Amino acid sequence: MSEEIKQEMAVEVRDLSRTFGARKALNKVSFDLPKGAFLSIFGPNGAGKSTLLRVLSTLTPPASGSQVKVCGLDVVKEDFELRERIGIISHNPLLYPDLSAEENLRFFAELYCLDNPEERIDELLEAVELKHRRMDLARTFSRGMTQRLSIARALLPNPDIIFLDEPYSGLDPHAMDILDSLIDKVREGHTFIMVSHDLQKGLQLCSHALILANGQKVFFDERANINEEEFARLYRETVGMGVS
Amino acid sequence: MAQSNDYVMERKPKEKKPETPSKIKVSNWRQFKAIIRKDIVMEMRTKEMITSMGLYALLVLVIYYIALSQAGQGFDFTRIAAGLLFLAIIFTSLLGLNRSLVHEQDQGCLEALLLAPIDRPIIFLGKAVGNFIFLCIVEVFIVPIFYFLFLGGGALAQSGPWWMLVVAILVGSVGIAGAGTLMATMSVNTRGKDFILAVMFVPVMFPLLLIIVTAMTSVIVANPGYVASFWQQIAGAVVFDVVMVGVGYVLYDFVLGA
Repeated sequence: MSEEIKQEMAVEVRDLSRTFGARKALNKVSFDLPKGAFLSIFGPNGAGKSTLLRVLSTLTPPASGSQVKVCGLDVVKEDFELRERIGIISHNPLLYPDLSAEENLRFFAELYCLDNPEERIDELLEAVELKHRRMDLARTFSRGMTQRLSIARALLPNPDIIFLDEPYSGLDPHAMDILDSLIDKVREGHTFIMVSHDLQKGLQLCSHALILANGQKVFFDERANINEEEFARLYRETVGMGVS
Repeated sequence: MAQSNDYVMERKPKEKKPETPSKIKVSNWRQFKAIIRKDIVMEMRTKEMITSMGLYALLVLVIYYIALSQAGQGFDFTRIAAGLLFLAIIFTSLLGLNRSLVHEQDQGCLEALLLAPIDRPIIFLGKAVGNFIFLCIVEVFIVPIFYFLFLGGGALAQSGPWWMLVVAILVGSVGIAGAGTLMATMSVNTRGKDFILAVMFVPVMFPLLLIIVTAMTSVIVANPGYVASFWQQIAGAVVFDVVMVGVGYVLYDFVLGA
């Protein structure tokens, strides 16, 4: 029974801690996230949101004693295999400004050793509406276009889990709409974990919500069990900041 | 508490690997080629590294020329030519090494590389080979200029074959690219990265500088028995190269993590 439940989990976090010097960025955080869920992580600056994302995406190792599995793979022992299954969309585009849109995607397709890179690149450039700009350098793109290309990069290996690190930051409303519709398009079959400062947007998208403060889990529950007003009040009380 | 956790973790039997077959067949060779191709395409487009290294090298040669202009007719340049040239190459390489990692940091590209299923040593080898190629391109320009400024007019009439000098410069460049790529990665996240790289890199280059300069000087001066002496020095330089590339290959994962 428990084995069955485990197989359905996209993320299993037990006693996750991480310190930087004397500062505890994460302190015994535990939660489980089922496959296909959309988790929004809220919290003030320095709450540990980005550190959590970095640990889940294998960029930062957790402290010893922590047990973290993503897609059933240990983030420390099976990091290589796990990296095939994750994609990241960040406020930082993670793209080479001096390569064209197509060259950027081809480079990452080669790193992921994709079988039919040209086909996949065409498909993704079409999806993010950048096919007409495929030969243009990434440095000539607007913020919204860069973010769309960044989404194409993240989706190249068809990842099981997509991490979104404040993806709406710096986007104009039109670019936000495009990002919304892209997330909508690929939502089925993927698990999302998003770090956000925007309570409204985060709650609108999520199936689960997590609040972190001072590296500790303050709240974690399914969206269906969340009353928006109470959640906003809890957020204000625990985090001690206004709600956007 | 943490210690007891560690103990429990160590004593646990190894967990059976979950049934998650690899989605892709990773090819190190394909990834290695992709990194080199990407670096070459970007450099050919921006020419940032080659231009800055080339101009700097040219300036160094001009400064040498002015500084040595009062040396007089009797001064034997062949004795110091190899040292001057290889020193210029080492200082010039610092500029390129710094740039090669800094543009990986722009817009988080290094993180994007680290998020891909790629062995860290492959990143090291790709970056090191890229640095080697750019250094060689700059050398193609500065070595002839150096020759015309300091060794023209039959100064090399009695010297050994020119290809031996090329071998020495190439073997030296491998060491520079290997050690330099590792150290540029170590320094890229530090506040004074230019200074830190220079402080770490130049002392490490002392043995290579000595070996290559000895090898090149033996060819330029061409005393009896210079061929044996040259190959002896080159063997030493190859050992240095192998050690540096080996250390980089083994430690790169740790360096990136740190």
